[in-house]
Amino acid sequence: MATFREQLKSRYAALGIVFLSVLGVLLLRAWSMQVLSGDRFAEAAENNRVREVAVDAPRGRILDRNGVPLVSNRATLGVTVAPSAKDDEDMLYRLSVVLGMPLGEVKERVASTKEAALKPRLVAVDVSMTTVAYLAEHESEYPGVELSVVPVREYPNGTLAAHVLGYTGEISEESLESGEWEGYLLGDVVGKAGAERQFESVLQGQKGYRRVEVDALGSPRHVLEEAEPVAGRDVVLTIDIEVQRVAEEALQRALAEARADDFKNARAGAAIALDVRTGEVLAMASAPTYDPTLFIGGISTKNWEALNAKDSEYPLNNRAIQALYPPASTFKAITGMAGLEYGVTSLSHSYDCSGRWTGQGEEWSKFCWNRRGHGGVGFTRGISESCDIVFYEIGHTFYKRGREELQEFSRRFGLGSRLGIDLPGEVEGRVPDAAWKAEFNADYPEYRQWLPGDTVNISIGQGDMLTTPLQMAGVYAGIANDGDIMRPHVLKEVLDSKGEPVRAFEPEIVVSTGVSESILRTMHNSLLAVTERGTGASAFRGFGAEVAGKTGTAEVAGKDDYAWFTAYAPADDPKYAVAVLLEQGGHGGAIAAPAAREILAALLGLPVEHVQATDVSR
Amino acid sequence: MSRASKRPDSRMAVVRRWANLPLLLSVGLLIAYGAVIVHSAVSGFTAGDAMFRRHLVGVGLGLVPLAFLWAIDYKRLEGWLGPLVVLNALLIVSPLIPGLGGTAKGATAWLEIGGVRLFQPSEPAKILTIVIMAIVISQYRGAIERPRDVLRVLAFLALPFGLILLQPDLGTGLVLIFITMGMLLVGGLKPRYFLIFALVGAVGIGVVLRAGVLADYQVDRLLVFVQPDRDPQGAGYNLEQSKIAIGSGGLTGKGLGQGTQSNLNFLPERHTDFIFSVLGEELGFMGTVLLLGLYLALLMTALEISASSRDLLGSLIAVGIISMWTFQIMQNIGMTMGLMPITGIPLPFISFGSSFMIANLAGTGILLSVWARRSAV
Repeated sequence: MATFREQLKSRYAALGIVFLSVLGVLLLRAWSMQVLSGDRFAEAAENNRVREVAVDAPRGRILDRNGVPLVSNRATLGVTVAPSAKDDEDMLYRLSVVLGMPLGEVKERVASTKEAALKPRLVAVDVSMTTVAYLAEHESEYPGVELSVVPVREYPNGTLAAHVLGYTGEISEESLESGEWEGYLLGDVVGKAGAERQFESVLQGQKGYRRVEVDALGSPRHVLEEAEPVAGRDVVLTIDIEVQRVAEEALQRALAEARADDFKNARAGAAIALDVRTGEVLAMASAPTYDPTLFIGGISTKNWEALNAKDSEYPLNNRAIQALYPPASTFKAITGMAGLEYGVTSLSHSYDCSGRWTGQGEEWSKFCWNRRGHGGVGFTRGISESCDIVFYEIGHTFYKRGREELQEFSRRFGLGSRLGIDLPGEVEGRVPDAAWKAEFNADYPEYRQWLPGDTVNISIGQGDMLTTPLQMAGVYAGIANDGDIMRPHVLKEVLDSKGEPVRAFEPEIVVSTGVSESILRTMHNSLLAVTERGTGASAFRGFGAEVAGKTGTAEVAGKDDYAWFTAYAPADDPKYAVAVLLEQGGHGGAIAAPAAREILAALLGLPVEHVQATDVSR
Repeated sequence: MSRASKRPDSRMAVVRRWANLPLLLSVGLLIAYGAVIVHSAVSGFTAGDAMFRRHLVGVGLGLVPLAFLWAIDYKRLEGWLGPLVVLNALLIVSPLIPGLGGTAKGATAWLEIGGVRLFQPSEPAKILTIVIMAIVISQYRGAIERPRDVLRVLAFLALPFGLILLQPDLGTGLVLIFITMGMLLVGGLKPRYFLIFALVGAVGIGVVLRAGVLADYQVDRLLVFVQPDRDPQGAGYNLEQSKIAIGSGGLTGKGLGQGTQSNLNFLPERHTDFIFSVLGEELGFMGTVLLLGLYLALLMTALEISASSRDLLGSLIAVGIISMWTFQIMQNIGMTMGLMPITGIPLPFISFGSSFMIANLAGTGILLSVWARRSAV
């Protein structure tokens, strides 16, 4: 039997093996981590300490054609709440009381998924100094709440030109996923409508960034590297703020007058002024309008729902380019010129208007708006008095020729397709023909057949013919500009950082109608007669400049009549074209023409006067 | 020998007789190494300078028990078994006495009088337990065979162990178990008992985990050890950050004071429990090798001292101290690299903390006492 001392040797050996293996394992582990995987851990350490923070670039301003700011920027005090505080009911309730906001809205904003996960949510902007002072003093009672200076859009002219300018908003997760906003980050403020959307790429500027070393709590320690943001470019529009103001006021006044005059539902409309030689849009108004400041700092659900409610008349809609209407009698200029071009009518042609037309047989009789009849009517008076019988005849002849020449001629004037204005949302309208009708009524075989009445109806701008106010302004601009319609546009130029123009819009012809000079001349004279002695004479007496124009009164099923007036001036050397439309406003010559007169006066530098006019035509 | 002090070479011989130079050297180097790392770790704190001074004061205070224990013959402790057991028990429960205890990180582990923190009684208790167990085990003269003897030995362990779990301080409890196992290994426990212990231990751990004896934070730490990415922002976060710190140190480290994980507060408890992560980050694998090399020298020297003891008691005391250090090194460094669960056990001679430093220096004093009274070779 071994002595105890001898036994101890093996026990010490065991103990030695234990601590040698402990040290050995630790050494191996350190070798594996520090030498073999060192790079991976080094990268993790870098990711830990370095945060890249984007620095938003100031957004470019939007100016009118003379450099007057339509949209600019200003700094305001905002209240942000860390997303981690979203379940702190008590604090959010107290905050909502301090801010005077509904609790639901505060919660909704804090829980918003429109922002990057850890970014503080902007809850309120334009916070009063008393509120700011209160929150600063009671900081500890509002964990996660911070005050910060946020740049927001400023609208020096209130709602003026709201539809042209559009508004901005934050990119939501869904729209980011759709791929529409490549290169943008969640929560970036971008143009959502109008010029803000259209010229987003130049207005946005280039974000700067800051690589910051942060500690474990995310507090920045120092800046490692930074790049200054490049401010967005200023965009100069073709809009003339003075003309725009007159256009909006004229629209409002006309609607008010219509309501005072038995047309109680007159609440919406649109007006456009174009430079016929360049396509520049000098004014574009749509009623009802909206307040773009509602979108500052994110629009509340309540306001958004109000703007999209069924009975709101959809104020966000830019009716000048996004709404479709039967052009009614303003279309007669096209029917008339088509008739002249295809020899269906002529200046020497005489029509007999008894107030009733039986061209398609007794059982299909139709009426002139003037039931008593115009008697013997020539081409020019057909336009100036807007005699329906003349155009029924022309339309009926076109039908009998069976070649859809009227439709083809309409398309030559840009109807049925977009004019390509540089604003989002333009719709194309409709020039109905046999193929369209067959397709449209595919499920109703009995209605698929193109009938004589269809051509007769579109010859007076009714039936299934639909146009935007912009398209009709374009038609008259084309007549005024020797048959060439210039592409309508709102962009004049983009300025560089020193305010010098770097990119100007070059006028381009969007459609060349190819209509002969003599036909244009004939139509011009007839349109001149409208304001001299025809349906528009009442609105333009004593105007001070010669105006070529056309009234229109559209019938829309279940609604009061829609009032139109389209025109260009000065007649001897046309420069501007105007279109005014008033939904359920009544007769064109009575309600739309006086509004157009005010806009033309502003364009031509004449005194802007409101006149009372009468017109009972359609 | 009486005139030896008059000649230089014989003066050296006296020093050699009483002092173990490799032990003093390795302890001294470890303390110096630790001071450098602690200095780097606390320099980012607002009270960093004061903390570093406190660390050095702890080293100075530790020299008192070191000198005292070195001076007295450990053999004299043998007759004090009863009082030592009582003193040990009192030490451990003292923080639980109302008015005396201070709580930190879920454990009432501090002795506090009038709001002033004195020390952590569990630290001297480890040394006392080593002495107590050495006395008890040595009574069997190297052969513990009868179950009743085994039970008696375990009863002496059970008292401090049970009391320490009341704080609750699981880490120190595990240290006590590991210490005792090391001493039983050298003290002559039959191998079959170790098998039984392992079996009982495994079943015990299962029962403890199920029965909810452990505090929630302890269970969390253990589960995180099994599955580190379970909760990266909670308990797993500390481990993840520690691993990133150590790994990112690479071969040569980021340089003293240059650790980003450490300076930017990603590392929790960087001056105490996670001091090795700072070392690994700033000095890299080279620094790790140096540290483990110093520990190897320390443990080898201590083993030599144990083997040189004139009696079993001295050997066992030395083995207890070796076991304590080995376990703490394994547990602490292993935890920072994800090899061991996270417990609040510091790194001997390196971590910030006076009670711990003093206890380790006291252990060094006992080793020196054993060495000074070794049998003539």
